[in-house]
Amino acid sequence: MLLPLVPALPLLGFLILFISGGRMPKRAVEAVGVGSVGIAAILALIVAAGFLQGPQTPLVVAWPWLTLAGFTPQFGVRLDSLSLVMMLVVTFVGFLIHLYSAEYMEADEGYNRFFASMNLFVAAMLVLVLADNLLFLYVGWEGVGLCSYLLIGFWYPNPANGLAARKAFIVTRVGDALMTVGLLLIYTRLGSLDIQTAMGRAAQQWPQGSVAAVAAAALLLGGAVGKSAQLPLQTWLPDAMAGPTPVSALIHAATMVTAGVYLIARTHVLYDLAPPVKEAVAVIGTATLLLASFSALNQRDLKRILAYSTISQIGYMFLALGVGAWAAAIFHLMTHAFFKALLFLSAGVVIHRMDEEQDIFRLGGLRRQMPLAFWTFLIGSASLAALPLVTAGFYSKDLIVAAAWQDSPWLGAAALLGAFLTAVYIFRAVFIVFGGPPRHEPHGPTGRRVAVPLLLLSVLAVTGGFVQPPSALGGAPLFTDFLGKTLPSAPATAEAADGVTLASGLIALAGIGVAYLIAGRHWFAGALQIPPARLLERWWAAGWGFDFVYDRLLVRPFLRLLWWNRRDFIDGVYTALAGLIRLAWRLLSISENGRLRWYAAGIAAGSIVALALSVFA
Amino acid sequence: MNDADIRAILPFLVLSAALTVIVLGIAVRRDRGQAAILAAIGLAATLASLWPAQAVAPRQVTPLFAIDGYALLLMGLILAESLAVVLLSQAYLARQEGPADEFYALLLLSTLGALALVSASHFASFFLGLETLTIPLLGLIAYPRERPLPIEAGVKYLILAAMSSAVLLFGMALVYARLGTMEFARMGAALAAFGQGPQILWLSGVALIFSGVAFKLSLVPFHLWVADVYEGSPAPVTAFIAVVSKTAVLGLLLRYFLAAGIFRDPTVELTVGVIAIASMLGGNLLALLQTNVKRLLAYSSVGHLGYLLVAFLAGGTAAIEAVGYYLVAYGTTTLGAFGVVTVLSTGAGREVVALNDYRSLAWRRPWLAAVFILMLLSLAGMPLTMGFFAKIYAAAAGVGRDAWPLVGALVAGSVIGLFYYLRVVVAVCLPAAGEQTPEPAGAAGLAMATLAGLTGILVWLGVYPAPAVDLIRGTARVFGMQ
Repeated sequence: MLLPLVPALPLLGFLILFISGGRMPKRAVEAVGVGSVGIAAILALIVAAGFLQGPQTPLVVAWPWLTLAGFTPQFGVRLDSLSLVMMLVVTFVGFLIHLYSAEYMEADEGYNRFFASMNLFVAAMLVLVLADNLLFLYVGWEGVGLCSYLLIGFWYPNPANGLAARKAFIVTRVGDALMTVGLLLIYTRLGSLDIQTAMGRAAQQWPQGSVAAVAAAALLLGGAVGKSAQLPLQTWLPDAMAGPTPVSALIHAATMVTAGVYLIARTHVLYDLAPPVKEAVAVIGTATLLLASFSALNQRDLKRILAYSTISQIGYMFLALGVGAWAAAIFHLMTHAFFKALLFLSAGVVIHRMDEEQDIFRLGGLRRQMPLAFWTFLIGSASLAALPLVTAGFYSKDLIVAAAWQDSPWLGAAALLGAFLTAVYIFRAVFIVFGGPPRHEPHGPTGRRVAVPLLLLSVLAVTGGFVQPPSALGGAPLFTDFLGKTLPSAPATAEAADGVTLASGLIALAGIGVAYLIAGRHWFAGALQIPPARLLERWWAAGWGFDFVYDRLLVRPFLRLLWWNRRDFIDGVYTALAGLIRLAWRLLSISENGRLRWYAAGIAAGSIVALALSVFA
Repeated sequence: MNDADIRAILPFLVLSAALTVIVLGIAVRRDRGQAAILAAIGLAATLASLWPAQAVAPRQVTPLFAIDGYALLLMGLILAESLAVVLLSQAYLARQEGPADEFYALLLLSTLGALALVSASHFASFFLGLETLTIPLLGLIAYPRERPLPIEAGVKYLILAAMSSAVLLFGMALVYARLGTMEFARMGAALAAFGQGPQILWLSGVALIFSGVAFKLSLVPFHLWVADVYEGSPAPVTAFIAVVSKTAVLGLLLRYFLAAGIFRDPTVELTVGVIAIASMLGGNLLALLQTNVKRLLAYSSVGHLGYLLVAFLAGGTAAIEAVGYYLVAYGTTTLGAFGVVTVLSTGAGREVVALNDYRSLAWRRPWLAAVFILMLLSLAGMPLTMGFFAKIYAAAAGVGRDAWPLVGALVAGSVIGLFYYLRVVVAVCLPAAGEQTPEPAGAAGLAMATLAGLTGILVWLGVYPAPAVDLIRGTARVFGMQ
């Protein structure tokens, strides 16, 4: 019965911090903020140990919330292999990032506010992944969206940050609106929002490819696309880097943005019933991963490189979902959480100690000045680039590439191209930031609360993949088997995989080589200075101009419409209504004249009306 | 009367004993604190005596009282509400001039009447309970007898209550003349025995009974007194009238209608429905631009009683469930709102009622302001408070019967309500305008603790209503005894 405590503890932490309203000393804030997530992580571990030792049957703890005309939603948490993995990732990575923030944010005035929002986020995220009911899941879904908004705009005195927060909120809102319609559709057609019940009924009642199944899957996909920053709703994530770096690590890399992947995996029955939508998932994932990789290639801002990289890596997860490699998607979600959190956190160290400088071309030669940041960033980059054998990213990405290859050579080739680009863009950053001659002297020490999370995440970024070595290395599919209890396993990929493993390994190495050429002062970098290449570069750096197009196509026409209607002719109706109501108030108030005989007359009149209604009706 | 009967009416006996002790205590030594403690202990003991009574429930004790789960649930609610009023008024009365001991005696007597009402199953106990509830109220309303406003309110209430009692009695006489029985449970059968004959006598009787009760519930057009009396009464008494008296009377009305089989009659439904719509619209409209907080809450209660009638009209067990939850929500919220008025008035030594007095409360007394805002939001039916689910239940009851005019009025009333509740919230949150002398914070620790408890209940049952709903549903099943 410890399971409900896992989300409850961070919520309690939030309440304490919220109610104290910044009146507690920083030590106490730290103890509550970090401690609540830490204890939740320990509890999650105990729950997980119990689950693994037992028969591994799903564990459900539920309370009825209300009963209303046959509508009986529950507050329920459900632990199966899928939510177990998610819960461990959220609590552990969450705890490490909280610990890191305790030092990183120490000088900030909004220390209490920061930890309150972070704790609320962890609670909401745990509700999202543990909910056994789509309504309850939606509570978590909106909760993480709210926290994302609050934390992107954490430094609200700067209007640009508020703008970024609003952009994130509104763009994801587009997806959420679709998802809400999807939930209503599921409830009206299947009569239940309980995930297991609804999925069971969907499998029975909806034939393969039926309109209802396609609509439901597509609407949920809309929500997933918004939350996970996939095409065409990816534009908010690079701007979301306006938040503090730990926020980018926790919310916009490791956990919240992968909620879409989780949602699709959780409702995979629908996608199996709707092959066109499933195909769309694969195509969206592939397109996103390529587009975002090209954009990452041309960024100057270190955090934006990582942001585009996140979009692209989630594209991989969507690709895996689309080709039915459910477990591979969750596997990559997990390893990505490790290495991307690591990358953000070590980038945070660099930025913090270099006076908030995020432009990679103004950094340089940091490998000797900041060995800890250098090595941890290198490990994270290697894992992201899927350096063969020694990194977690290799094992998970390899599984996806193999599955994509088996589904269609086009998807496989695109995934390989993406892998190449990934290696190029991240090692370009490594070479530019850490290579070359030193430029500025970093200041400030790096404390233990920052170092420990970096080291632990480095270990995870390397070893996290050993839970499932590829068949070419004689490994056993432990992770997919474990998830297989919840998600159907992908078809065996043994033979196809060997060649792919070799190819993706070589491609990663080639990518690093090209990155070295670009970053250095070689002829190769010079060759990229020709005008057409510059143009392409600018186009990609601006994220393929999506912001521009949306601005011209949606935002400006909308503002123009508002300008036309600035007197709001529809509001006239309501203004008139309000005037009418005021008039009614004035008239009725005449009756309240304080005279007893008038009041008595009221009672008499009322009795007469009641009598008349009874007698004549 | 055997042993089980005695146990069933134990709550009456315990409360009467507590009342006697207080009156005797006053004879020995005039001490406000002593009376307050005795009253609190008496109410708590009466609450505890509900358990032995529950062991023998459901039980008909003489033809007058039906001690069943429904009665016990409402008794529990009324006793808890009275206890809250005692706790809220303790510091308030300390600031008043003159002795305050009798205040508690009157309060307990009125509570006794309320207990009798919710278990009444006979016209005799109905009328006795109602008068026992009402007559001490006159004393409570006019308790600060040096001030003109309470005296005016007391006199108005006295005359109008007498008038409505007369209407009620006449209605009872008509029903008795037609049916030949005063027991609720026999009325349905007696009515059926007459078959399709002319019903005018019976219908007129029911209409007049409803009119008499509608006065107590301050339904439109019987509501004209409500603002003057709420304004004139001391703040804790206003809370008591708004909550205990209305809970008891509505509880009785529901029992009478269910037991006597009145819900089946379309004419009665029409009458109640028209009055419900008039109350929802009239009450909320009257509150619209009101600048006196007590009067505003008075009109708001008119609207809420209208919503309650929508739930009421569902009939059967659905009505018990919806009305029960609504009464719990309404009681908690209204007590909280008037509790804040009480605490503020305690500090100021006068009734703090002008909307201007509430301006910038959030900056002067943030905790009190937070409680007040939560209570107002609950009255407005905002999610995450009890008021939200209460309104959902009322609306569901209306939708379930396809009573669209009622649902429409409910929605319209809620929209209007939102406006004036938020007006108060805005005033509370505004920064101070110019010089505003902050009134001294009176030593109202007990009242603040009570408010904290009410707020806790409000949020807890507003987020997770299942425990309350289960409890009420359990009672609805027991009701089948008659």
